Amino acid sequence: MIHYFGIRHLSPAGAYYVREFLNQIQPEYVLVEGGSDLTSLLPDLTREDVILPAAIMAYSETVPIQTLLYPFAEYSPEYQAIRWGFENGKICRLIDLPSSVFLAFQEKKAERLANLTLKEEMAEEAGKAEEKEEELTETFHVYDELEKVVGEDQESYWERRFEHCSNCAQYREAAQEYGRQLRELSQDSKLEWAETLLRERYMKYEIERAQKEAKRDSEIVVVTGAFHVDGLKTTEPMTKEEIKMLPSLPCKSTLMPYSYFRLSRRSGYGAGNKAPGYYELLWNVLQEQAIFPDSSTSAASEYLCAIADYQRNYGHMVSSAEVIEAIRLSNALAAMKNSSVPVLSDLRDAAITCMGHGHFSEISMATAFVEIGSKIGSLPDGVSRTLIQEDFYRQLKELKLEKYRTAVAQNLELDLRENTRVKTEKAAFLDLNRSFFLHRLLALNISFVKPQERRQDNATWAESFVLQWTPEAEIQTIEAALKGDTVELAAAAILQEKLEQSKTIAEVADIIDQAGLCGMPKLLLAAVSYLQELSVDSVSLPEIGTAVEHLSGVIRYGTIRHIDSEPLKPVISQMLYRACLILLDSCQCNNDVVEEMILAIDRCNNAFKQLDFLESDNWEKELERLGDADNVNMQTAGFATAILLESGKISQEALAVQTQRRLSVGIPADLGAGWFEGLAKKNRYLLIASLNLWRNLSDYIDTLDEEEFRRALVFLRRAFSDFSSGQKCEIGENLGEIWGLNKEEISEAVNQEVKSEEITGLDEFDFGDLL
Amino acid sequence: MSENKVEFQRLPAEEQFKEELEVLISAEKDPIPSGWKMSPKSVLTYVDGGIVKGKKITPKYLGNRRLVEICIATLVTDRALLLIGEPGTAKSWLSEHLVAAINADSTKVIQGTAGTTEEQIRYSWNYAMLITQGPSKEAMLKSPVYHAMETGTIARFEEISRCASEVQDAMISLLSEKRISVPELSYELPAKKGFSVIATANTRDKGVNEMSAALKRRFNIVVLPTPKDIQTEKDIVKTRVAQLADNFDLKAELPSELLVEQVVTIFRELRDGMTLDGKQKVKTTSSVLSTAEAISLLANSMALAASFGDGTITEYDVAAALQGAIVKDEGKDAAAWKEYLENVLKKRGAEYRKLYKECRELN
Repeated sequence: MIHYFGIRHLSPAGAYYVREFLNQIQPEYVLVEGGSDLTSLLPDLTREDVILPAAIMAYSETVPIQTLLYPFAEYSPEYQAIRWGFENGKICRLIDLPSSVFLAFQEKKAERLANLTLKEEMAEEAGKAEEKEEELTETFHVYDELEKVVGEDQESYWERRFEHCSNCAQYREAAQEYGRQLRELSQDSKLEWAETLLRERYMKYEIERAQKEAKRDSEIVVVTGAFHVDGLKTTEPMTKEEIKMLPSLPCKSTLMPYSYFRLSRRSGYGAGNKAPGYYELLWNVLQEQAIFPDSSTSAASEYLCAIADYQRNYGHMVSSAEVIEAIRLSNALAAMKNSSVPVLSDLRDAAITCMGHGHFSEISMATAFVEIGSKIGSLPDGVSRTLIQEDFYRQLKELKLEKYRTAVAQNLELDLRENTRVKTEKAAFLDLNRSFFLHRLLALNISFVKPQERRQDNATWAESFVLQWTPEAEIQTIEAALKGDTVELAAAAILQEKLEQSKTIAEVADIIDQAGLCGMPKLLLAAVSYLQELSVDSVSLPEIGTAVEHLSGVIRYGTIRHIDSEPLKPVISQMLYRACLILLDSCQCNNDVVEEMILAIDRCNNAFKQLDFLESDNWEKELERLGDADNVNMQTAGFATAILLESGKISQEALAVQTQRRLSVGIPADLGAGWFEGLAKKNRYLLIASLNLWRNLSDYIDTLDEEEFRRALVFLRRAFSDFSSGQKCEIGENLGEIWGLNKEEISEAVNQEVKSEEITGLDEFDFGDLL
Repeated sequence: MSENKVEFQRLPAEEQFKEELEVLISAEKDPIPSGWKMSPKSVLTYVDGGIVKGKKITPKYLGNRRLVEICIATLVTDRALLLIGEPGTAKSWLSEHLVAAINADSTKVIQGTAGTTEEQIRYSWNYAMLITQGPSKEAMLKSPVYHAMETGTIARFEEISRCASEVQDAMISLLSEKRISVPELSYELPAKKGFSVIATANTRDKGVNEMSAALKRRFNIVVLPTPKDIQTEKDIVKTRVAQLADNFDLKAELPSELLVEQVVTIFRELRDGMTLDGKQKVKTTSSVLSTAEAISLLANSMALAASFGDGTITEYDVAAALQGAIVKDEGKDAAAWKEYLENVLKKRGAEYRKLYKECRELN
């Protein structure tokens, strides 16, 4: 005999009555809606030490990864039915289409959507866009329709009709009626409907299979969504040939912890479960009432007391009288809807009126806490899951990060230095190992960890992260399983892949950084040798600059992460030598790229200054040549001079000579002023202190005619634009000395903002290549 | 409507909607709480509108059905109800209609002012009689609250936060003990079942006479919002203007859909400080641009059109009324209004062109 028990997914009353029903019938077989190939995970799911919410996840082995989730809470009727089956030693099976088929469907749908988008892009017609939207909203269509019909939001409607049923028969009847109603409404969305029919025919096949196996008079209970009950009763089973024809995608499955927060957003079923915290409360009350039938506990009082308790804990006064008033008001509100028990919306409105003084904002935090809550599930060791999940949890334990596995975001500050107060080496470098682990997670894009920017940029031994566990993070972890069996292997595989795809030095340099952060010396070496390979071909100075900066960072600060920097040294010297060779040629550039060049020169120069194993003679020689050169971009020449001036390689006298030469009569304004702009990019105090320089500049400007002066003005204004007002004052002082003027007057003139009238004068000015 | 509208400027709600109340009472199916004339559900239908026995019940409070449900449920539990909101969010209107439906008598009102005394809330004496006969029940002048307690009905307390604190606090003992003691007669009046109070308070007056926590605790508080979208507000304005026109016998045509939309749009934008599409910031004015203000503005324009025009409201009438409603504080408001005219209204296109020109004339 087959009994159908239609339920609503994630329904406490359903969970309660399905157990009652099973106890009554004592079936040999319990068949539950859910991917039939996932049955093997059920024994693990129902273990005593599994803390719900948890989910069964199936995922495709091919890219793009498709995933399928079956989340369960303590109050899931499916879970309770399965549990009952195991507790009583009965046969328990999932009977829906195998997950491989679902995933294949999903892939097809995704492709279809992509095609649609593509089509839409090709023909940007309004009519077509609407069509697409219709496709997208089909799923939600049914529930919207229902809300219109019943005139109350679906959550409240369901709760009123079903969660407060007083006995099993009433629940079954109501659920069946509801399923029928939903079916009628949903038949007009074609694609969904076709899938529904397929699923039902397959389920029927599984049911008949169980029937054939079973003894003649044994009972079978089928627990499915209320929606399917009518269909299952009437449909024909799928034939074996048809089953063979179903599309399928190679896939794997695993268990994973879930969270109430995610359950409240996306339950995995069409209908959401907006208030998991509240539903758990309903379930607990049902349980308690089963044991103590006279208990006066009600969901209403539990909910309102929990809100009051939260408010009090956070410093808001809530009296017991207010709670009592809220209960009375919620009862009155329920009575107006003809029900004897208040539902969540009644309770919340009563709480707003009585405890929130009419303002939802006053209790919004409390309602979020009570209705959703921060509960997350957990799986004990040995429960079937992917190797990478196991590795993840083992590492959490080893690195003492378990307390951060909560739904609430927490900060973690790391000190990478050796802790000398502890005995074992493992403990001494705990934070360093944590850092490696977290950076590996980052490399895998697992959202459990997020880096936090630090203000103190020189402290290389300090790092901080924000850690927050979400089911999404778990899903990302499982997805990473395709890359490797441990977090380290998977991260290495990802970085290796990236490395193979990189084409520019900057990309490789980035991977070198990451390899350092993740503590992967082997990968680091591979990246370095690849970098060396690339740098042979690469001739661009900016790229060398970027790479050198990264490498120099790793060399200087690598020790704290235990990176052996020896192999890096020859590479960086080689690259810098290359920079010397191409310096002059590279600087024959136009004004579009000169900024980049100057940045690169600066970076290379910094490397020379910071790393004492490098021989800088060549570099200085090249800089001198650059400083003297006439066939290069004048800004770079000026900048080279500035570097030499800073390191004391040329004297003030030599500078004076240079200045005179660069700013002598007949030199075009953009060249002269451009040189000065380059010069002004480095150590400004040295420049300001050099009175000669300003005299030369002043003399030079005197030689310019009107048109040339205007062009020079643009360069000079730009050169001085990021000088501070104090520096401008000092320049003013210098010039005042030269021109014999009062310094206050000058400083005022220099520090004035440009007026718009002055700019309008420039309208007709031909900027040419200046901009 | 009956002919007595000619006689009185304004009829209490229960008179004005007598027929609707009668239909509702005669069609009653649900249990009626003691002291009430009809069931909570019928009260909801009366306020929110519907069709009963083929007769249309006009909606009285539009926009938020759930809030009305909470109000009624509060009164069922014999708790006092406090309606809070910006001026012109239909607090008094809602309270009047609730009481009209529940008791068929909305006249037991205390108007809270700075001059309200404790006696007006409890009872006072006919001093001539007091002196000649000494204290007696006959010499006693009962307050609306006293009456409500005696008859088990609902008393209304308008603008409770305008009263001095000590006067407000006189309510505390009344609401918690549910009895008035008359020491002069060594007598105590217990409230009959069904007694309750609906008070209203204005958020703009917040802080003038802040209600004590003890008093607040005796009330269930419902905050009445400004209409949530322009469509609701337009509906409210249209319904009310039609009712008013009927009451006052205004011999002008009802304002056109377009005009209502324009006025409501202008009001909403100046109230929220930004344009409806949220793209432009607008300076707010010091005046309260509530829905009630929009209603009276249009009724006012109708009166202008009827008395001095040809009976149709023109942009000319509305412009004058708008000017009066918006520019309350000459310096600041006038500037904000002019800025709004130039920056927003002028760019609204042909439909607004005429209104813009008329407004422009006045500035």
